[in-house]
Amino acid sequence: MASVRIVNAKKNFGAVKVIRGVDIDIADGEFVVLVGPSGCGKSTLLRMIAGLEEVSGGEIYIGQREVSHLRARDRDIAMVFQNYALYPHMTVSDNMGFALKLKKAGEQEMNDKVARAASILGLENLLERLPRQLSGGQRQRVAMGRAIVRDPQVFLFDEPLSNLDAKLRVQMRGEIRALHRRIGTTTIYVTHDQVEAMTMADKIVVLHDGLVEQIGTPLELYDRPDNLFVAGFIGSPAMNFIDGRIENGEFKAIGGLALPLPEGLPAGKFAGVELVYGIRPEHIRAKADGIQGTVDLVEGTGSEVYAKLDCQGQAIYCLFRERIQIEYQQSLCIGLDPSLVHIFDKATGKRVVV
Amino acid sequence: MTHKILGRIGFLFAALVFVSPVVLFFLWMLSLSLKFEIDNAAYPPVFIPEHFAWSNYVKVFAENNFFRYFWNSLLVTGTATLLALVIGVPAGYGIARLKAQKSAIVIMIARMTPGLSFLIPMFLLFQWMNLIGTLWPQIIIHLVVTVPLVVWIMMGYFETTPIELEEAASIDGATSWQVFRMVALPIAKPGIVVSFILSIIFSWNNFVFGVVLANRETRTLPVAVYNMLSFEQVSWGPLAAAALIVTLPVLILTMFAQKEIVAGLTAGAVKGG
Ligand SMILES: Nc1ncnc2c1ncn2[C@@H]1O[C@H](COP(=O)(O)OP(=O)(O)OP(=O)(O)O)[C@@H](O)[C@H]1O
Ligand SMILES: [Mg+2]
Repeated sequence: MASVRIVNAKKNFGAVKVIRGVDIDIADGEFVVLVGPSGCGKSTLLRMIAGLEEVSGGEIYIGQREVSHLRARDRDIAMVFQNYALYPHMTVSDNMGFALKLKKAGEQEMNDKVARAASILGLENLLERLPRQLSGGQRQRVAMGRAIVRDPQVFLFDEPLSNLDAKLRVQMRGEIRALHRRIGTTTIYVTHDQVEAMTMADKIVVLHDGLVEQIGTPLELYDRPDNLFVAGFIGSPAMNFIDGRIENGEFKAIGGLALPLPEGLPAGKFAGVELVYGIRPEHIRAKADGIQGTVDLVEGTGSEVYAKLDCQGQAIYCLFRERIQIEYQQSLCIGLDPSLVHIFDKATGKRVVV
Repeated sequence: MTHKILGRIGFLFAALVFVSPVVLFFLWMLSLSLKFEIDNAAYPPVFIPEHFAWSNYVKVFAENNFFRYFWNSLLVTGTATLLALVIGVPAGYGIARLKAQKSAIVIMIARMTPGLSFLIPMFLLFQWMNLIGTLWPQIIIHLVVTVPLVVWIMMGYFETTPIELEEAASIDGATSWQVFRMVALPIAKPGIVVSFILSIIFSWNNFVFGVVLANRETRTLPVAVYNMLSFEQVSWGPLAAAALIVTLPVLILTMFAQKEIVAGLTAGAVKGG
C-alpha cells in the first residue's frame, strides 16, 4: 500500500493536449474515483499512472518513489480493464497466478495466494475453467482476483463495471467496496457514471477536458460544487441553472422570475454581475404560497415524481419524493430552500462564495 | 420451413456445380492410375476397369528413385516451412504491433510478385556461392513464397489480439519477450497452425523452382513427376499413379486441417485491405 501523488501531469497525443496539468494527492488506503464525461482523459490519466502511456510532463509518485518514467512492470500496481483482459488460453487459477509465476514464486506460495484470493471472491469452484467458460460477473471477479493476488501498492480500475447489466453492476459495486474495506489497498477507480462515483468513493476527482474541476468527498461535491461544471455533472437529475442578476436583494431571472437568495450573500457586491442560480430538483417542494408555475411534464416512478414546470417562461425541473397528485397543464406552487441554493458567476463559471 | 429446405437444396446444387469438376478430375486420375494401357485408349472410354492395374503404383516406385525424391521434397518443404515460421511469426508480430503499414505493403508486394522473377538473380547467386547441386537453393527460394505467406497470416492474427492482454501482462511484470512468448504467441496458435499448413501446401506443390534449380539428385516430387512425361512414350497409368502419390500427403493434411485452413484464409481475406 502506498500514497499516490500526481504533480502537474500532462499528456499530449501529437498536437492534441489530452491531460493539461493535473494535480492529485491520494492518501494511503484511499478509494479515489476519477469521474468525468466521455473523452475527458480519465483512461489516459489512469494509463499514465499505470505506465502504459508515457507522460509528456509532470511527475507521478507512488509512495516515496517517483515512477513517471518507470516501465509498467516496475511500478508494482495492478489494473483491472474494462474488458477484463483475461488471458484466454489460461485457466482461472493460471490467470490469477500469472504475476507470481513471473516473479518465480514457489508452487506452494502461488497456490496459497490464489486460493486465498479465490475464497475472498467466491471463485473456489471455477479455478480450472477457462475465461470463455465464465459469465460476465465471474470474469469481472477473476480480473479482480488477478489484481489481489499481486498484493500491489495500488489498484487501478478502468470502468470495470460498464460491461455488466444494471443489477449485476449494483452488486459488484458493493463487492468492490467490501473488498477495499477488507484489504485496504489504495485504489484509483475510473468511471463516467456519477452514481458509481458517489456511492463508492472516499474522494472524487472530477475531470473535464484534461483538467481537474474539483476534488472532494461525494457530499462536498454535492453540497458545495466549485463551479458550474461540477454542479451540472454531479447529481441526477441534473441541477436547474437559471441565468439572471441580483436586483433589490432578490435574484431576477432573465424572464423576470424572482427567486430567493441564500442568506449572507453580499448582494451589493454582485449588483449588475451576470450570475447563474442553481437549485437541485430534489430541493424543491410543493408550497401553497410559493412560486407559481404550470406543469409541462410529469413522470412518476412510484417512489418519486419528476416534473417540469414553466414559471414565467423559465423551465424548472422538480423531483418530489412524496407522492403528490399533479396533472399536465395544472398550476402548481413551489418553494425553494434558500440555504440549498448555489450561485455561480456566469463569466467564470465559479461558485460565488457564501 | 419450406424456405429453409429450398435454401438448402440451392446451396447443395451450387456446391455440386462448383466442386464437381474438381471431383471429376480427381476420379478420372484415380481411374487412369488403375487402368492398363489398353483400357486407356479404349473407346468408348472405360471408367472402372475390369482388372485393377496395381502394377502402375509398383512401377512408380520401381522405376524411379521415388523415395529419394520424396525425401528431397520432405527436406525442402520442411526446412522452408520451419524457417518461414521462425522468421515470419516474430516479423508478423512486429509489423502488427508497430502498426508498420509500409512494411505490410512490402510483404504484400512480395506475395504478389511471381517467384520466377527472383529466380535468375538467385540462380546466379547460388552458382557463385557454389550451392548448386545441394538442396539449399531450393530451400532458400521456397522461402520467397513461404515467408511472406506466414508474415501475412500472422500479421492478421496479431492485429486481432486485443492489446489490453499484452498490457495486462506487462503490468503483471512480464518483459516484452515474455509478453510475446507467454501471451501473444499462445493466443495466435491457430494462426501458426494455419500458416504452417498453408506454407507446407504451397512449398510442397511448388514446381517451377525445382525445374530450374534441381538436378537429377535434388529433384522434388512434382519435378520428378514432370520428368516422367519426357520419356519417348507417355504411359498415362504410372504417371497418374505418381501424381496421386505426390498429392496424397497434402490431401491428407488438408482433410485433417480443413477447419483451420478456412479460418486462416478468411482471416487473411478480411485483413487484406
Ligand atoms: N492514442 C491516442 N492517440 C490520440 N488521441 C488519443 C489517444 N488515446 C486517447 N486519445 C484522445 O484523448 C482523449 C481522452 O481519451 P480517454 O480515453 O482518456 O477518455 P476517457 O475519459 O477515458 O473517455 P471514456 O469515458 O469514453 O472512456 C480523447 O479525446 C481521445 O480521442
Ligand atoms: Mg476510458
